[in-house]
Amino acid sequence: MTDPDRRELDLFFEQVAEGRVSRRQLIRRLGAAGLTMSSAGTLLAACGGVKGTDTGGPTKKTASHPKVAIKELDFSNWPYYMDPKRNVLKEYEKAHPGSHVKYTEEINDLDEFFGKVRQQLQRGESLNRDIVVLTDWMAARWVKAGWVEPKDKRNIPNEKNLQPNLQHPKWDPNRDFTLPYQSGMSAIAYNPKKTGRKLHSIGELFDPKFKGHVTMLSDPHDSAGLMVLLAGKKTEDATLDDVLAGIDKIDQENKKGQIRRFTGNDYITDMAKGNAWVSVAYSGDLFQLRKDIPGVQFVIPDEGALLWTDNMMMPQKPPHPYAAETMMNFVYEPQIAAQLAAAIAYVSPVVGTQEAMQKIDPSLVHAPTVFPDDATRTKLHPYVTLTASEERQMNEAMQKVTGA
Amino acid sequence: MVSLRTRRALFPYILLLPGLAWLIAFFLVPVLTQSYVSLESGNLEQGFQFDWAWHTYSDALSSYGDQFGRSFLYAGVATVIALVISFPLAYYIAFKSRRKNLLLLLIILPFFTSYLVRTIAWQTILSDDGFVVNTLQSLGILGPNGRLLATTTAVIAGITYNFLPFMALPLYVSLEKIDRRLIEAATDLYASRWTAFRKVTVPLALPGIFAGSLLTFIPAVGDFINAQFLGTSRQYMIGNVIQSKFLVTTDYPTAAALSFMLMGVILLAVFAYAKALGTRNLTEAAV
Repeated sequence: MTDPDRRELDLFFEQVAEGRVSRRQLIRRLGAAGLTMSSAGTLLAACGGVKGTDTGGPTKKTASHPKVAIKELDFSNWPYYMDPKRNVLKEYEKAHPGSHVKYTEEINDLDEFFGKVRQQLQRGESLNRDIVVLTDWMAARWVKAGWVEPKDKRNIPNEKNLQPNLQHPKWDPNRDFTLPYQSGMSAIAYNPKKTGRKLHSIGELFDPKFKGHVTMLSDPHDSAGLMVLLAGKKTEDATLDDVLAGIDKIDQENKKGQIRRFTGNDYITDMAKGNAWVSVAYSGDLFQLRKDIPGVQFVIPDEGALLWTDNMMMPQKPPHPYAAETMMNFVYEPQIAAQLAAAIAYVSPVVGTQEAMQKIDPSLVHAPTVFPDDATRTKLHPYVTLTASEERQMNEAMQKVTGA
Repeated sequence: MVSLRTRRALFPYILLLPGLAWLIAFFLVPVLTQSYVSLESGNLEQGFQFDWAWHTYSDALSSYGDQFGRSFLYAGVATVIALVISFPLAYYIAFKSRRKNLLLLLIILPFFTSYLVRTIAWQTILSDDGFVVNTLQSLGILGPNGRLLATTTAVIAGITYNFLPFMALPLYVSLEKIDRRLIEAATDLYASRWTAFRKVTVPLALPGIFAGSLLTFIPAVGDFINAQFLGTSRQYMIGNVIQSKFLVTTDYPTAAALSFMLMGVILLAVFAYAKALGTRNLTEAAV
């Protein structure tokens, strides 16, 4: 998922009040609220003048993790990113008698989590975790810095079920280190009653008719990424300059007053109240949005949409690498993937999930946000991959635009 | 055994101890840490090094001068509006009303809900399809495409609303304290009611005006909630920048430098204000 916007307390309250905040969102916002604590910690750490050892680069790309009896597995994930009854984990334990999965929901926020483990990573220490789940750009940062243990692919035969368009990200071209856990889309949502017509292009965000009624996500991964697509480029091949040009475009439109606000998930509030007519939006929110505002549409524009992915990976020196790989293999069983998708309603990266879903929850089989069809998939592109310093330049440029 | 004299001499310091400890732990140490951080350079990934990076201050000022200006402008305008609204209100409660407690309660009542919730409520009230905008549009005050939410007006109104009680209550206290006989004496000495108000009531209410303005202005300058929820990026204040520098871009040195500059400018502004009103009032206001 994306970098959460910490300013979305309003939506948070509203959604909690109406009981329609997803549990994951809730936890993440609570995490954001507790953020001052964590940044105080980072601040103190920073005062120690810790020297970085950035971008050493991955030293090895393969590993051999011989088969051993599985006793324990330390799995760190986002809150409520697993079926509530933990049936998936129970079945794993049943399939591997004597094993115990220590499942920790400790990743509330990417920056926060990174801040927590950064020093251990830089000192080359084990995090005592076997699997962590990180969004593309953060995953890329870890891979580049050499903080990720390569997978022993012999232990993950089900990796063949990985969706083809997710197999070769620029930052891990052969998926030597990572394996997608779930995906979701960033594109455009609009209220046809307000726009008076169907929208089909990213460029329509800037239609003067919608002046002052457009919101964009403040996360440049999403907003600037869409601008790259609008410029006719593929985010796969985009460079920092393309992204900065995209931010520039947003800046111009913002100065004209076209953009009402830069938001996180609270564009939902603005849409529900009729303030926003067109928004840069996440597909996961679409279900909620449709219930609240009848007729609202989420469209994957002609230029394409962004598909972000959260990746499973083993942080350096994992205590139980073989167990981690068997778990990755396990959730790539279409049957298990479908079970997971039915519970958490994200886009599964596993081929065959849709067929398996037929038996579990037929109503979800044709839900486009859970199962984008092939035509849709060709239009989905990843976030732009940047180095840590480029990420920072991007964030700074976006901050100048959003005025914060 | 310590002599009585020594104990007597030590006593004030013992009384001061908890307060001093509090100040050291929660003011002095953070301020020193922050000043240290503001002079570091680097980033979260590669670590921060202390290298007397004074340029952070000038860079921050040139990048975020707009937001600085806006903060002081919005806070200043809001403080003046709050004063204009609060003075008659406090005057009425102090001099004319028989239901003082009820009215005072009504002023404080919104404080029983959280600051955030109140601000978010305004988001709903002022929304484009809300009744306020609809009414103003049908009256022709707002154009058909006009709006209130996400404008400068909304942000200043929000700040004024949220900090109004901080202005009204000190004003009420200082007006209430005024000895009525002084006003009677003034009128006895042939002052008109207006002159008596101008020459007696207002000067005696100055400590309240001073305290009220400070209590409104200082938190308003650093506020980011109102700009966040009621404005757009074109209304963002320095508080928005600082919180986002600390929490989103993790540019701690710039955030620390901005906080310091904000603190410095506020201190200067307060001293200038105290000077203008007369320093004696500052101490009176504190009483």
